Amino acid sequence: MKTGLTTSVILHTAVLAFGLFTLSAPAALPSANVESVAVDIVPMEAMAQTLQGDKKAVMHEKPAPLPTQRPDIVPASQKVGENSVDTDKPITPEAKPKPVDMTSAPPPAPTPKEKPSTEDVPKPQEKPKPIPATEVAPAPAPKQEVKPEPVKQTEPKPTPAKPAPTPPPQDKTAAIDPTPEVKPDAVAEAIAKDPPTEETQLPSSAPAPEARPKPQPAQAESAKAPDRKDAEKPVKEASSKPKSDDKQFNANEISALLDKQKPSGGGAKRSTQQASLGGEKDQGQKLSKSEQGALEDQLGHCWTLPVGLEGSEDFTVVIRFNLDASGKLEGRPTVEKSSGNPQFDASAVRAVQKCDVAGLQVPAGKQDIWSDVRVNFDPRAMLGL
Amino acid sequence: MENIALAEPGAQLSIWALFMQASWVVKLVMIGLLCASVWTWAIIIDKLVAYGRMRLALNRFEQVFWSGQSLEELYRTLADRKTTGMGAIFVAAMREWKKSFEKGAKTPLGLQTRIDKAMDLALTREMEKLEGRLGFLATTGSAAPFIGLFGTVIGIMTSFQAIAGSKNTSLAVVAPGIAEALLATAIGLLAAIPAVIAYNKLSSDASKIAVRMEGFSDEFSAILSRQIDEKVAPKA
Repeated sequence: MKTGLTTSVILHTAVLAFGLFTLSAPAALPSANVESVAVDIVPMEAMAQTLQGDKKAVMHEKPAPLPTQRPDIVPASQKVGENSVDTDKPITPEAKPKPVDMTSAPPPAPTPKEKPSTEDVPKPQEKPKPIPATEVAPAPAPKQEVKPEPVKQTEPKPTPAKPAPTPPPQDKTAAIDPTPEVKPDAVAEAIAKDPPTEETQLPSSAPAPEARPKPQPAQAESAKAPDRKDAEKPVKEASSKPKSDDKQFNANEISALLDKQKPSGGGAKRSTQQASLGGEKDQGQKLSKSEQGALEDQLGHCWTLPVGLEGSEDFTVVIRFNLDASGKLEGRPTVEKSSGNPQFDASAVRAVQKCDVAGLQVPAGKQDIWSDVRVNFDPRAMLGL
Repeated sequence: MENIALAEPGAQLSIWALFMQASWVVKLVMIGLLCASVWTWAIIIDKLVAYGRMRLALNRFEQVFWSGQSLEELYRTLADRKTTGMGAIFVAAMREWKKSFEKGAKTPLGLQTRIDKAMDLALTREMEKLEGRLGFLATTGSAAPFIGLFGTVIGIMTSFQAIAGSKNTSLAVVAPGIAEALLATAIGLLAAIPAVIAYNKLSSDASKIAVRMEGFSDEFSAILSRQIDEKVAPKA
């Protein structure tokens, strides 16, 4: 037994000694030196009602979207324009057609009507005309302020060609419109209709539009021809006016009536302020406390508590109503959370209606909120009882 | 509560440091388990050696016994020596035989019974020697884990008390106390596992040896009864 014990003791001491030296403190677990991540607790409301801004920006007092930058104009560029890349094509000035839209729209209008006629009529006759027309057009443009002048100018040049075209359109228009009261008038209507009347209305802005649309070859050519006819028959225009109203809608004119303006309108969302914390788009707005207070103050002035109702200052009723952009009441105010006393509820509804008659003053630009307003009618708060 | 000190965060976590940080109850448990482990291994070594020797002795005795040597001669050589195993059984049986015939025993039936009794006694004594202290291995194997667990529970209790006192629950503060407490369980398992394995092996070895010795005693009993019959028959 002694041998067993001694060997055991020796073994144990050996193992312990070995363990003490080798099984010393285990190496500390490697921990990356990472900075702790700050976690904000954001109410759901903040997500649902974010205003435009920069997601990574700091919260500022005023919400502001990302400042946009006006594209730099490359100094060496040959063309100046809004394109992001330089191209050799000449600038198609978009600005010019815009002011003239009203006047420019009509001139193409007659063309469709003429086209059917031109189709019927041997085309060779008409085609020679356009060439002079384009030549003529630039000249009248500056002078169109005074109408009689362009008429005279155009008359002399096209005259040789005119006699031929004019008769055929008359016949055909007559054929097309089965119920023309006065045939010559109908021709005039068909050809000129609106353009002359509009020209008379807007003489000053006329020049540019006529010249611009021409680039489109076929339409422009045909368009010119009517112009000349218009000029010839200014007297008939007066009689044609009432009838042109009847014919205001013509399926053929739709293309002319379409707004061909490029959808480049509107400015960039721009703010000179540093971008503030916010989402990509406006999710909602909230009435500020002061705005809510202002509204309640106005309603308070319109509110008369029902007479003889005991303990009415203890009641509260929540009224819900809709306002349009200008602050006018839409529909009838509804009782969202009744006070339990119908008279009291009715008085609050009356207050809203009364104020609406007087005109509610609401800050502009927050239609979304005005469209659905809830006001807590509390006599203590609103009437100071 | 004031004297319960928590390990400083980042303190020494070596085994020795853990042992020194432990409370005295846990220390006591750990020391006790260590002693049990030492004793277990002492027994294991002792038994392994003893069984080995026993097997060797049995082999040698069987070789000599079945070599055709006269039993009287064998008895004379063995009687003076300290015998183990089969030798002891043989000597016990032969002694009884001799005594009976020296005093002129008349009844062979009584002689046979006495010799059997003597051999049983010798066998039991030998088995006792073989299986002695195996019980300690069994006890250590079953109880050491619980003792270690006791130390751990006490250690964790103390460290929780200390945590409550320090009002700091960072892992660096909690960990050393728990590590220190778990050391007790580790030592308990360290003692228990070899004890259980050794107990199973040694007890099976012992039973094999016992079977062998029982077999010998039966065989020798048969030989002796034949001898008795031969001695009694001519007289009769």
